[in-house]
Amino acid sequence: MTEQYPFTPPDVSRRSTLRAAGAGALLAGLGGLTGCRSAVSEANSSAKEARSRPKRGGILSVAVNTDFTPSLLFAQSSQSYQHRLLYNTLTRYDDGLKPQPELATSWDYAADGRGITLKLRDDVTYHDGRKFTADDVIFAVKNLQNPVRAAQLRATALAVSGFEKRGDHEVVLKLAHPVANLFDLFEFMIITDRHSVEDAVKGTKLNGTGPFRLKKWSPGSGLSLVRNDAYWQPGRPYLDGVELRVMAQADALVSSLRSGQSQLSYQVPGKSLAAVKGNPDLTITSYDTGDGAAYVGVNTTVAPLDDKTVRQAVAWALDRERIVDQTLGGYGLASAAPWPKSSPAFTEAGRTHYTHNPAKARRLLKSAGLTRLRLPLLHLSLPGETAIAESVQYDLKQVGIAVELQPTDPATAQKKLISQDMPALWTMSHGFAQVQPSTLAVSAYPFNEAKNTSKYHSAAYTKVVREAWTTRDTAGAATNAQYRKISGILLDQAFIIDLAIRGRVQVASKKLHGVTLNKFSYLNLDDAYLV
Amino acid sequence: MRSYLLRRLPSALLVLLLASFLIFAILRLVPGDPASSLAGPDASAATVAAIRERLGLNAPLLTQYTSWIGDLARGDLGPSYAIGGDTADLIRDGLGATVELTLGALLFVILLGTAFGVLGATSRRRWVRGVVRVATTGALAVPPFVTGVLLVLVFAVTLGVLPPGGRVPVLSAPDLGVQYLLLPSLCLALPSAAVLGRYLKDGIERTLAEDYMRTATAAGVTPRRLLWRHAMPNALPPVVTLLGMQTGHLLGGAVLVEAIFAWPGLGQLAEAGLTRRDYPVVQDLLLLLVTVFVLVQLLTDAVYAWLDPRIRWE
Repeated sequence: MTEQYPFTPPDVSRRSTLRAAGAGALLAGLGGLTGCRSAVSEANSSAKEARSRPKRGGILSVAVNTDFTPSLLFAQSSQSYQHRLLYNTLTRYDDGLKPQPELATSWDYAADGRGITLKLRDDVTYHDGRKFTADDVIFAVKNLQNPVRAAQLRATALAVSGFEKRGDHEVVLKLAHPVANLFDLFEFMIITDRHSVEDAVKGTKLNGTGPFRLKKWSPGSGLSLVRNDAYWQPGRPYLDGVELRVMAQADALVSSLRSGQSQLSYQVPGKSLAAVKGNPDLTITSYDTGDGAAYVGVNTTVAPLDDKTVRQAVAWALDRERIVDQTLGGYGLASAAPWPKSSPAFTEAGRTHYTHNPAKARRLLKSAGLTRLRLPLLHLSLPGETAIAESVQYDLKQVGIAVELQPTDPATAQKKLISQDMPALWTMSHGFAQVQPSTLAVSAYPFNEAKNTSKYHSAAYTKVVREAWTTRDTAGAATNAQYRKISGILLDQAFIIDLAIRGRVQVASKKLHGVTLNKFSYLNLDDAYLV
Repeated sequence: MRSYLLRRLPSALLVLLLASFLIFAILRLVPGDPASSLAGPDASAATVAAIRERLGLNAPLLTQYTSWIGDLARGDLGPSYAIGGDTADLIRDGLGATVELTLGALLFVILLGTAFGVLGATSRRRWVRGVVRVATTGALAVPPFVTGVLLVLVFAVTLGVLPPGGRVPVLSAPDLGVQYLLLPSLCLALPSAAVLGRYLKDGIERTLAEDYMRTATAAGVTPRRLLWRHAMPNALPPVVTLLGMQTGHLLGGAVLVEAIFAWPGLGQLAEAGLTRRDYPVVQDLLLLLVTVFVLVQLLTDAVYAWLDPRIRWE
């Protein structure tokens, strides 16, 4: 450490001066301290172990850019990773959107779609030792019906009109009408302890049935979790614990991965992915969940955007491929429709419905009697979001639309979004296209058929959305036809102009194996291990 | 003395009252509100309304203000709206982290400042004085966010000897805690160390140029003794005053360094509170800072009054 300051006073004894000046440096001297314990090697300690088969032990450090927000425990947000670590869900989808058992072992959806009977595991306990029963499922549904919980799938929870308990481990959910996205709800809804839910939303007690127990939540620092030794899956989890560490600054987050202090993150900005890609200790995995999509929202009550021809001109003017390459680091799918490839509503024709065609955009504007136009565009004042807004601004300028950028902080933008107070154009992200397609239009606010920020409303849209949502079937020719109708309206009306589907991009240490995410980006570490 | 302090108390309380009102009002003027932040990205207006109701944000502003002040007077800082947990706990934890960072930085300021000052003033080798000059100029000119990134790149990423961010409290695990503290406190300390070093260098040079120093040299006093026994005591007083001022500077500068090194101090807390419009956290935090400032002023006035009785009689 003293070598950093090789200043030598020749007349005054250099030794004495250095002794005085460097006393603190020696005090903090790395050699001495690292002789006790190293904060760096603590994180890397499992590296020297064999790597071929699952191994017990080790603490996984996950770098997140936003701290756990207990008040959003029942909503999906940008930080829902801990949900499946502390809690379980009733079912979980496989890659083909087929539900798989979790706390529910089997289910029987009534032929008329008016009820579903769930059989539940009988060997599950909460972290405090209390047994999990059907009452907990009933509570979980009622809890999401409460508007204060801000659960995006509240509409689906509200479709449950009654409960019939058949013993401690069987329950019937009675439905007011058939619901196509019932299993979205089951994958989304964490099963909390009904006795301590108020403590949970304050962050003081998170009592679940999941593979890890809460050790400590330090606001601003993150969550510290330890293995639940009484977990219902035998031999799981392998890890001793998980630390979710908050690294709000992107450079700090990337550095923590590159230095090995963290072994996993989903929040490396697009522009930093190239640097991470060259690191031999890290792997990048792109999840095809498509739970985030960048879009341009259009206020359909602002002239001349009340004319769909003008909205379509905007859609043709945008270079989606460039946006993916330049702002998402190449990790994303340029798409005019909201659906990821894993969605039953995905079609290649929908994805490429609008491509970059400035000449066509100009022709459409001319046909609407416009050659020059000036419009405001609101965007989040975050680096990645600003880059997208600037790309949109550049593309629209090429067709004669001068865009004035309005950088806005997330809290203000959120309020404007909900209160339908957006300017003519805005760029943001949406989710909920990664599960049953009907969920998008009933649970993602920008697409909501009843009330959305674009102030777009049409009887045809409402009809097809309600039909798609209130069916029992989630596949088949009739259902697919409905999905095509929804896509057709979205593309034709262009009140939300999709730009790119963003899956979760996982940056992980090569020492880490067995990590998965569910469709709502809840981290599943049941089978994860460090070698 | 007691009556003097009692006379000053009403004006101090008035300042606090006015500050509380301004803090409350300005926060309400900032666009956005905690309810829409809490409601999540896909919330409906009904959800936001329900949350507003639960948080008591539908009450008249005066009622909200008096309720806040009333709770504070009872020592109840209340729960955080958006961050979660108890506001008092959040501020206590953040304060501990910021004080730890500031003390760590202060140590570096003293050590590096002394090294810069002594070497700059006493070295006969030009290159050594040149290096000190470049180092102090660099430390002053390069902003902490650049220094921070460089330190992380060198010590965390390239050499891999120190963690790039996060915190382990020094008191809970001293060996680990100090390692987490080293980079952020060094980053925070560099500009102040440079200022201190320059003051010290000037002071030592001035003292060494005095006649009695030449006499002492002629009398055979060793250079080491000359520096530490004679020059340093004369050069130190203004430096100590400067050090006090730099401590305040360090506390203020900690906000940026906390962001770079993911250090969960008051700066990070203020940022998180403001971003989510967490009114209780931001209000209480700002009022705490004003209270500290007012108390320091009171203390300073008291010391002056104690030193100079004439002030007490004014």
